[in-house]
Amino acid sequence: MTRARLAAKRDLLAAVLDTLVPPSAGFPESGRLALEHVLAVADASVEAGDLLARAIEAIEAAGGRDARRFAELGADQREDLLRRVERSAPGSFDALVRHTYDGFYSHPATITRLGLEPGPVQPRGHRIESDALPDLGRVAASGPIFRRV
Amino acid sequence: MQGTDVLVIGAGASGAAVAWRLATAGIEVVCLEQGDWVDARAYPHWRADWELHRHTDWSAEPNVRRLPQDYPVNDRGSVISPLMYNAVGGSTIHWSAHFPRFRPSDFRVRTLDGVADDWPIDYATLEPHFDLNDRMMGVAGIAGDPAYPPKSPRQTPPIPLDTLGVTIAGGFERLGWHWWPSDSAILTRDYDGRRACVNCGPCDLGCPIGAKASTDVTYWPKAIGAGARLITRARVREITLGADGLADGVVYYDGEGREQAQKARAVVLAANGIGTPRLLLNSRSPRFPDGLANRSGLVGRNLMFHPYAMARGVFDQPLGGHRGPIGCSIISQEFYETDPSRGFVRGYSFQVARGLSPIASANGGSVGDRVPWGREHRRAYDERFDRTITVAVIGEDLPEADNRVELDPELADSSGIPAPRVTYRLSENSRRLLDHGIARAREVLHAAGAREVTFNPLLRAGGWHLMGTARMGSDPATSVVDGAGRCHDVPNLYIVDGSVMVTCAGVNPTSTIQAIALYVADGMIGRRA
Repeated sequence: MTRARLAAKRDLLAAVLDTLVPPSAGFPESGRLALEHVLAVADASVEAGDLLARAIEAIEAAGGRDARRFAELGADQREDLLRRVERSAPGSFDALVRHTYDGFYSHPATITRLGLEPGPVQPRGHRIESDALPDLGRVAASGPIFRRV
Repeated sequence: MQGTDVLVIGAGASGAAVAWRLATAGIEVVCLEQGDWVDARAYPHWRADWELHRHTDWSAEPNVRRLPQDYPVNDRGSVISPLMYNAVGGSTIHWSAHFPRFRPSDFRVRTLDGVADDWPIDYATLEPHFDLNDRMMGVAGIAGDPAYPPKSPRQTPPIPLDTLGVTIAGGFERLGWHWWPSDSAILTRDYDGRRACVNCGPCDLGCPIGAKASTDVTYWPKAIGAGARLITRARVREITLGADGLADGVVYYDGEGREQAQKARAVVLAANGIGTPRLLLNSRSPRFPDGLANRSGLVGRNLMFHPYAMARGVFDQPLGGHRGPIGCSIISQEFYETDPSRGFVRGYSFQVARGLSPIASANGGSVGDRVPWGREHRRAYDERFDRTITVAVIGEDLPEADNRVELDPELADSSGIPAPRVTYRLSENSRRLLDHGIARAREVLHAAGAREVTFNPLLRAGGWHLMGTARMGSDPATSVVDGAGRCHDVPNLYIVDGSVMVTCAGVNPTSTIQAIALYVADGMIGRRA
């Protein structure tokens, strides 16, 4: 049900996510990469879905007619609108930001852009070039620092 | 219904150790565990979205995870949320395997510093059990740490420090402070039939290759090989008493929800510092109207967590913090022992962990300072990602009677068994101790080259260590178990988990909990002989 509430506003949601995480030079991926994740969260949990739906509804309420053409607003206007919602509906807006970050920073395109290898961390693991230790001589030579009892 | 020599409740860190030790001595052991075996293929590490699971089905918080085998914990009255896992291996499934021991002074707090109480046992008594436990778990480390009496050789070389560890070590060196590569229960070489770590990172989500020492891959295969019987999905409702006033077994619900009974000549509780008092308080009878073994009134009282403060430095250069075991890099005990000039008693350790993964970098990780959204986002995120070092201040908590575990009058698990309610406030001593630690952590991060340091004064989701709620002591009026782990009121009922800890030191407790479990088991074996 909550997914349906959100999915009906898919375009607005995508534009909001792009405002939360805008593209930039050298990092063209934007928040809408998280769209399917946010919808999936709404699908998986009534509690989370309700929070997310309330966030979008608060954005609509704050924007009035502007909400319908949110994507066409300038970056300043979009941020201003979302800042108002962040103040008026902090709980649901917080959930929206968190799930956006979760979805965005788990997306393979983002992981790749960060310079990491996307995909499972097993079985490949990570290569550590050297297991050499810094010199422990000073510490070892300092003598016992525990109290003898 | 078939009786057994010893019934162990809980298959985690201590339950596994005690079951193995008893079984290898020819004692018939049955262990009941409310969780199940974790299938190595089920870990999120095999999935591309592995990090998303940290705050859902693989959360360390039972109230978030809400798996069928979990019980809820009312923690509204606590500034720290208890963490645990219910499975074969218990919370060692989730732990970061940082493996320091308690120090000799930790057992003599009253004598040395005039606070809390001394333990009825000491470091020397536990030392052979520490060593045995190290061999069973497999410890990566290096001998020679001047913060401890000499230890036996570590099983494998230490966890590699990598760029991040070398960077913060430089800070400690510049200040002339103690630091040492952490003892970690994670293999850096193949050992005892287990594989070496491949440095994938998120040990807190479990270890799918068995390099990290969760007891499902260390003690349990050997315990079962020695004849111990492990029954999973068995949720104990209460411990029962015979006419002689001794424990004679338990009533539990099996995996299908059917009530079962298991009789035993001795019962060992290994259900953690919240689960154990919960079960004792749920085991009321005319002989023990306030809960089993609770004539002292101390069951559930003196709950200790280790309060954590977190300081995070931002550096200019990449640190490779996603590589290597998440919790294990460096320990410092520069500020461990009491120094009256600091304005608090006892002390703390620094634990330097690895860096933040991509999602944690955005949402703030343990410091909780989320990267701003909007046009500032990219710059702020890129300044942080792979450029942070977090120093955890792990403080010694002192026991206070009002910090406690009780039964919640309304909350229950899915079997209808009353759930625990936790009340915990941070003491003034702990607050001062953490503030001191934050200031010193800031110093060392700057000395290592951090250009900015932020901190979290108290980590709420930091209740990894559950201790003190059935404390050990010689006097039945002021303790629940004696120096052999036996309940004063019910001498064939033993407790071996963190509940028995009189004080909690300023280090992670699992190594010491398991050493106590082996020590108690040896006492049981000796008394049988």
